[in-house]
This record gives sequence, C-alpha cells and structure tokens, in this order.
Amino acid sequence: MEYVNPLTGFRVDGRRPNEMRQLKGEVGVVARADGSALFEMGNTRVIAAVYGPREVQNKGQQVNSKDALVRCEYRMADFSTGDRRRKPKGDRRSTEISLVIRQTMEASILTHLMPRSQIDIFVQVLQADGGTRAACINAATLALADAGIPMRDIVTSCSAGYLCSTPLLDLNYIEDSAGGPDVTVGFLTKMDKVTLLQMDAKLPMDTFETVMDLAIEGCKAIANYIREVLLENTRRLECQRG
Amino acid sequence: MAATAMDHDGGEVVTPGELLGNSSLLAGLGAYADGRCVRASITGHRRLVPPPPGSTDQRSTVEVVGHKAHGAVPQPGSVVIARVTKVMARMASADIMCVDSKAVKEKFTGMIRQQDVRATEIDKVDMFQSYRPGDIVRALVLSLGDARAYYLSTAQNELGVVSAQSITGGTLVPISWTEMQCELTGQIEQRKVAKVE
Repeated sequence: MEYVNPLTGFRVDGRRPNEMRQLKGEVGVVARADGSALFEMGNTRVIAAVYGPREVQNKGQQVNSKDALVRCEYRMADFSTGDRRRKPKGDRRSTEISLVIRQTMEASILTHLMPRSQIDIFVQVLQADGGTRAACINAATLALADAGIPMRDIVTSCSAGYLCSTPLLDLNYIEDSAGGPDVTVGFLTKMDKVTLLQMDAKLPMDTFETVMDLAIEGCKAIANYIREVLLENTRRLECQRG
Repeated sequence: MAATAMDHDGGEVVTPGELLGNSSLLAGLGAYADGRCVRASITGHRRLVPPPPGSTDQRSTVEVVGHKAHGAVPQPGSVVIARVTKVMARMASADIMCVDSKAVKEKFTGMIRQQDVRATEIDKVDMFQSYRPGDIVRALVLSLGDARAYYLSTAQNELGVVSAQSITGGTLVPISWTEMQCELTGQIEQRKVAKVE
C-alpha cells in the first residue's frame, strides 16, 4: 500500500507529509470538574477533566509533603475503536499511558505551590484514530489551564512517523498501523524543552533527528492553537462578567 | 512575546509560559522566575504593580490576574475557618472550609493540639471544655503538620469558636472568652471563644 503518493506527494487522507490534522479544542465541557477540555485531532477525540488541588486521599502515595501529588487516569471508551471490546480497568497499555501523561504534566505543573495536595487528571478517549496519547496530553494541558493550575508552560504533544522514505507528521490510524516507526514528543514551547520522547520500531539516528524535528514543529503549531483557545475563553469570560 | 489583545482592562492577556519580563521585574501572583526572565504560570491579564514607596527593592512586580483560580490550599500563616469534627483528650480534629476568606473546594483535614488551644495555662487545657463537634472555629495554620493533618492554633484572642450550637440545638452567643450562652434555654457552655470584631 502506498502511504505517500509518489507523484502528487499527498497522503491517504489528502494531507501533505508535514501537515497536521484539523485541531479543535473546547474548555469547560464538564460542569462539575474544576477544569475540563475536549480536544480533537482529526478523528481522534479526547475529553479531560481536572479536579484539585484537593486533599490527598491515599496518604501512602504522598512521597514528600513539599509538592502536590499528580495522579492521572486514562481510559478508552469501549466504542472508541473500530472493534467494540471491553478492556479491564488497569490493563497494561492504559497504565503505561496514564504514567506517561502523569510524568509529562508533573514536569509542567508548579507543584511546590500546592504542598500536601492532590491534582487528579481524568482522560477519556471518545474516538480513537491514531495519536491518542498526544491528544490526551493536549487535552490534559488545556484542562489544567482551564482549572487555573499554575504551570511553567503549556505542554503540547505530537506524533510523527516515517513511511515510504518520508517523514510524516501527526499519524492517523492507517499510517500508525503500517508498522513503521512512531515518535511521540512532548514539548514546552516557550521554554524550548522536550518533556516526553517515545518511539517504537527502529530508525537510523539521522532520520530520527529529522522525524523528531518534524514532531517538534507540530507541537509548536498545537501550542499556538491552544493559546488561541485560552485567549478566546478569557475574553468570553470577561464579556460575561461585564 | 505576549499576545496583543484589545481589552478594556488595559492589560494584555497572557497564557502559561509566556515571557513577562526580565530580571528587572519581580514575579508576583500568577508568575514565576525562570532564570533571568519572568514567565506567566496561569492564563489571565498581565498587570504591573509599582514598588511600594520607601522599599529597598525598587523593582516593579508583575502579576497575572486570572479569571478562574484554583481552589485555595492552606499555607503556614493562613487564617482558616474550620469545622470541628472530632474532639479527643489531647487534640481536636477539624475540616478546613475557608482559607483567608476564600472557600476551599474540597476539605483539608486540620488538627488543634492541646498546647495550641490558648496561650495561657497550656497544661490545664480541657479539650472538651474548649470545642465540641460541629463548632465553627477560626484558626491559624501553624505548619503542614504530620502526614495526616495540618496543625492549627487558636492561641490568640481573635481565634477560637465563632459559631456553635448548644446541646438543645439553640444558637450559642458569646459572653466571655471562655463561655457561651444558649439563646433558647440560657444554658452556659464552656468554649474557647474568638474575640468578636
């Protein structure tokens, strides 16, 4: 199967290799949460809710009382994939992605400002079409900003791959299933720091640098969009307040 | 740099991570220092506060005023309003409800120890004559405490019970710093009463 048309340079869904899927972000979608966000990257749709800072419920998890404890729970809805299947809670993939999101958010949240408290992040995938963990990180960071949690920077995440000798940005499900390498990068755009880097399959080092640079460019584009969403939300709140 | 915004507030709207200035500014609320620059940590309006007159540090303070702040977290030195939940021989357990006039979204557990009830005659404090379950108490956060609760203190005149109910259910009215009287029955009950302002 040809993932990049050699004549026209288009991908199977009509995008160019360095083109992002359509982004859509919305804040305040869960009324009872302190902060919430709905984030779409193409056909991948993720909802995130943030509760806290609140009292630590499981005291044993509180490693040190100087910082806030960040917990994350990741779930895929049964209807989110092509095959409807019931996964047990806490399967290996969910645990791994929960830990990835938690570590990425911990690097950004100013935890020392909220000692002896707990911040809970709940992320649920409503529709999966590749790049779910990147969409989850973007949804979580948007929800944290909506909750007013102080952060060092807005963490954004984007995936990139390498198929048909071409670096591809923001893989969809078909490209993700092709068996090629998949690089996921979490990035602090204003501070220019990488907080997450994951890859499967093999890549030569020079090609890996190219793919990673492409993913970082995608993160910057997502950060610009997320800032626009936050600014728009602030202006709307200001108009409502009078 | 910060995004340009047409706001009648005058301050531009910034998002987390945006640069607010260099080391010639102090980081206030909603901002933090990152090396030699000051960045925003929340979404909101950028605001510049001139230095107070006569201070040694003549740098202005840059703040970010957010529309939606997260729930308050008790800090050492905060004055909190708490509800007593359990009274024991040497301590009383309380749920913190407000921090510095700001409501806590979810409760934090506090503890008033026997030696922190009042400043005088610490050895002779009787916990059951100072607090009852259900009392509303104004207290000062001493420290983060142990793993279970914040340490609270009422060893000041303005701290203590601010609202209570008697055994018969009537409202108790303060009559001295150690006594309250029931409105319905006139029964006098012992409490560590806060000074009414």
